[in-house]
Amino acid sequence: MMFGRRAFLQFAAGAVGGTLLSPLPWKLADDSAIWSQNWSWRPSPERGPITKKATICTLCEGGCGIRARLVNGNRAVLLEGNPEHPINRGGICPLAASGLQFLYAPYRITQPIKQTQKRGEASGFKPIPWDEAMSELLDKLVNLRTGGTPHAVACITGQGQGSMRDLWQQFFDAYGSPNFFQMPSHSDSLKLAAFLTLGKEEPLAFALEKASYILSFGSDLIGGWGSPGRMLALWGDWNAAQSENKTPSAKIIQIESRCSMSAAKADRWIPIIPGSEAALALGIAHVMVKENLYDTSYVATNVFGFEDWTDSQGKARQGFKSFLLASENSLEEASRRTGLEPAKIVELAKDFATQPNAVAVWGKSRDLPEKVHHELAFLALNVLKGNLKSQGMISLAPSVPLGPMPQVLADEVAQQGLARKSLDQVKAQDIPLSRKSLYGFLKNLSEAPSYPIEVLMIHEANPAYSLPGNQVFQKAIQKVGWVVSFSSYMDETSLQADIILPNHTAFERYDDVIGVPGLPQAYYAVAAPILPPQWNTRHSGDVLLQMSKNMGGSVADALPWKSYDAFLQDRVKGLAASGRGAVAQTSARQLQETPEGASPKANYKDGADLWKKLASGQCWYDAPQNPLQLVQSPSGKIELAFQSLQSKELEAGKDEQCLPNFSSIALSGNEKEYPLTLVSYQALFLSHGYLPNPPFMTKTLWDFILRNDDSFVELHPETARSLGLDEGNRAVLKTPAGECIVRVHLFPGARLDVIYMPQGLGHKAYDQYIQSKGANPNELLEVQMDPVSGLGTAWAARAQLRRA
Amino acid sequence: MNEEKKNTSGKSRVGGAIFFAGFIVALVFGWVLSPNLIYSQRMQPMQFSHVAHQDSSCEDCHFFREDGTYSGIPRIEKCKECHEAPMGETEDERILVEEYIQKDREIPWRVYAWQPDNVYFSHAPHKAGGMECVACHRDVSSEEKLPPYQENRLTGYSKNTMKMDACEKCHADRGISNNCNTCHK
Amino acid sequence: MVIDLDKCSGCMACSVACQAENNISFRPDETNKLRSITWMEVFYLQNGKDYGEYQYTYLPRPCMHCDAPHHAPCTFVCPVNATTRNEENGIVEHIYPRCIGCRYCIVACPYHARDFNWWDPSWPKSMESMLNPEVSTRMRGVVEKCTFCHHRLLNARAKAYLEETDPDKATYLPACAEACPTKAISFGNLNDPESEVAALIKDPRAFRLLSKLHTEPKVYYLSKHDWVRKQADKGF
Repeated sequence: MMFGRRAFLQFAAGAVGGTLLSPLPWKLADDSAIWSQNWSWRPSPERGPITKKATICTLCEGGCGIRARLVNGNRAVLLEGNPEHPINRGGICPLAASGLQFLYAPYRITQPIKQTQKRGEASGFKPIPWDEAMSELLDKLVNLRTGGTPHAVACITGQGQGSMRDLWQQFFDAYGSPNFFQMPSHSDSLKLAAFLTLGKEEPLAFALEKASYILSFGSDLIGGWGSPGRMLALWGDWNAAQSENKTPSAKIIQIESRCSMSAAKADRWIPIIPGSEAALALGIAHVMVKENLYDTSYVATNVFGFEDWTDSQGKARQGFKSFLLASENSLEEASRRTGLEPAKIVELAKDFATQPNAVAVWGKSRDLPEKVHHELAFLALNVLKGNLKSQGMISLAPSVPLGPMPQVLADEVAQQGLARKSLDQVKAQDIPLSRKSLYGFLKNLSEAPSYPIEVLMIHEANPAYSLPGNQVFQKAIQKVGWVVSFSSYMDETSLQADIILPNHTAFERYDDVIGVPGLPQAYYAVAAPILPPQWNTRHSGDVLLQMSKNMGGSVADALPWKSYDAFLQDRVKGLAASGRGAVAQTSARQLQETPEGASPKANYKDGADLWKKLASGQCWYDAPQNPLQLVQSPSGKIELAFQSLQSKELEAGKDEQCLPNFSSIALSGNEKEYPLTLVSYQALFLSHGYLPNPPFMTKTLWDFILRNDDSFVELHPETARSLGLDEGNRAVLKTPAGECIVRVHLFPGARLDVIYMPQGLGHKAYDQYIQSKGANPNELLEVQMDPVSGLGTAWAARAQLRRA
Repeated sequence: MNEEKKNTSGKSRVGGAIFFAGFIVALVFGWVLSPNLIYSQRMQPMQFSHVAHQDSSCEDCHFFREDGTYSGIPRIEKCKECHEAPMGETEDERILVEEYIQKDREIPWRVYAWQPDNVYFSHAPHKAGGMECVACHRDVSSEEKLPPYQENRLTGYSKNTMKMDACEKCHADRGISNNCNTCHK
Repeated sequence: MVIDLDKCSGCMACSVACQAENNISFRPDETNKLRSITWMEVFYLQNGKDYGEYQYTYLPRPCMHCDAPHHAPCTFVCPVNATTRNEENGIVEHIYPRCIGCRYCIVACPYHARDFNWWDPSWPKSMESMLNPEVSTRMRGVVEKCTFCHHRLLNARAKAYLEETDPDKATYLPACAEACPTKAISFGNLNDPESEVAALIKDPRAFRLLSKLHTEPKVYYLSKHDWVRKQADKGF
């Protein structure tokens, strides 16, 4: 019989019937539903036991305690604040909350690489083994020493506070080069103010925990000033609801031109002309002196230079009092400089003078030095209030008695190298308080250096991006023979390197935090790794120690540790031997509540015990100190006329040079061509330093800060109207330093004729999540050298804005 | 005409047979063959005998962690506690020691009761509710060899993975919440 | 949940912690906020005044977990019961495998608390190590939103079962509240008169968003400013 079409259909019909009566179709339907609910290409996180590891965050200098949540002990999924840590008390900033995105970043440098083509060519980097990379660097360093030119080696580090900085310094002292530089920091100029006023070059600290009234001169208190963890926890206390029944609130007066988040949330915002904060401080001081509102008995007993004085040569000098009462510092003058009505200044002065725990704080950000004379003006205001005393509002940040470094017995080569002036100082004869200045170094290097720099080592810093006026770095680096980067990431500076010896990231290595910016208590903490190194990287400290060991001689003797961990342990052993301080226990505010002189009883047995406690995420602390007992100024008192400041102007009889004073900024550029002022600002939700803004944080950015690849500038609606611009318009922003394309955001919190631009965008390196998003204000700002310190101050530029 | 009619009815009888044959073939395929065809049999990376481990208690390996989670299948550290060096002479123990313990690798066990990512399951409330392990898992007390792992070719899940209706039914029977979030994450 | 806007410093740590905890994916360009998935979104409110008197605040907005009788706006419109209110703990839940992506709930939600997965979620390969196994990753074509870190509640309950304490009294903190550096976000059981949140909502500064709609949000806000409270009843 033929099996025809009809038979086939009959068979098929039967098969369909049979299939329908079997479980097969239902099973398949069910399975395909399950399949469709769990697409296999969707990442499925590996499961496993979850553990937590406490450590210290070193992404900034704030010293916060954090905990990492680990899966299977080998995968970190979240960083959270450590509720037992006294600085941040469980909170965490957005950068630390995104911290793991640096650990697992796709733009990490996973092994040593070397540039095989022209410098700056991203595709020219080829992997080389560690031994080869290290010996290449070693050969260069050894050859320069043999050639008698150790001073041709320079280093820029972005680690301002920790032991790694001290290790670099030790290495440079032993090796024989004076050219060791750090990225700029506000503490550079703050320390100088303390030096001139108190005779001690230590950073100042503010007892904000007990403040009842805070005059903030442009300090974005909740936007990253000092230690963000501490400031934000404090902010929470200050605004605690009555039902929470916590510490009494502090009244906050925010003085600045832009309505920052601190200004918007403060009890009062005092808008002033940008850059005139110090003028207002002097104006308030003027009112306090004129109306006798200052602490007269305090000033009479503890202060030198308030009244007119005679110098060692018998010459009569002006004191701060008569300086303030002189016509150039009148209330009207202060009003003119700040754009504030005289009545308002008087009111501020009265409030400040009458509040029991009032304090003035200043400093735009942690990484910007200010004019020393302006620092002195803010400090002088606090002196008039009597804030620098026992249990006072301001003190000197206590030092941490870590184990000392072995004494460097510099050999002949090193002595010769160290005898040379560092490259920043060569042309700096006129600067009275000259300190190491990265700007000075880069400027001299880019122009006509008096000697060449053969090897430049850059450690945890990205000056090619984050240094205001970063063009000077681009120029300077052309003059350098060989550039070594220790960065963990392919950032703008690493791109310019000849060789990269990648460091571990902050979460894969031992590190430490010495002191918290602005905290009156002594503080020390050890950051232990939360995971072993994920890639073939090495701790820069270990590389440095290995290098010294191989160099032998006095260099090896000065750095005798076999590893960076051993070095840290050695320092902690020294700390334990001092017998001072204690490990902060669980009581969250114990550290801040430790009063002066009440040094806590040591609660550790020995160095090993202290190390164990510190490595488990706890911190060491000690009581604040009485600034009056530390004064080492020439007069033995707090000085308002600075005898340690000698300069040509002073000799020429300009007495105000040795008094706190204000000088308005003279920005370069033609006022007609550049009618506006560009001011950059920083915010906590946008990372702006060595670390790029991680994708988590970029996602939270407003669409009036970044839209597609354009970043915004803030303009007052009226300023925008006068320029013919409206919300979202694209415009060309031009300053004497450069130009870029931006979009306009209308912001009534912007002062007329001022353009505000955020720091942290406009990267040219990294990956698609970071690269070419927005513009970098550091390319537009003008850097000015402070005549007293030679430090570069930079926050503004003249600018023009026209429709693109 | 008659013949033709006859012919037709003969044809229809044959047709019925063909239909029936198709019906039976499909039924056999659907009921008997396909349940096996839909799963691929996979072996575990190594053998494990629960019987050979009767000197230790169940909780030595299958225990609750302090945070309330359940260890399920022990991790390699647990194996290491006894098998740092081989204790016997079996081939599987050699694999365990040489391939996993010495190399500090986890054994990639295939988990019979593996649930997808969107399912939340905690052993703790079920234990607190007095359920026996064998209510859901196979009885391993006299098991010498691990059964093969049957993987659904379509979904990739184990044949033993409990389905939502089973969870729901038990919850409903016991008056436990059947809110979606009770078991989904 | 109670969010104190006077304490909020607008640092965005809550939103970041939420992304890390809940495996929220990100793309190279997230500036189109209509396509960006953010469970803890932050709104910008301002007082409408000019320079000198201008004030603004950020307003973090998780899912309100509306407690309206019978139905929250989103659960009411869901044709497949993918989103429902858990009658035991009040959390409005959303089950991804059940969601058919019709987006009715997105339209219904007056708080814009829901987002749609227009793309497959993806992370840079090396960052897949950061994914949290306690939260499932979603698929393209489904809606998602804040869960009040419901998985943390489940974990807390599991622990309570094991410790033989009352699982209904188990407490936990969602990732945002835990991260907040100013402790602006408080979290607890509003029905428990002893709880911190129950005390906070009696504060004269307390208000809820769009209370005129009677969605009965379980998220309360605190602000000392009238202009903030007034805007809470305007649309967003």
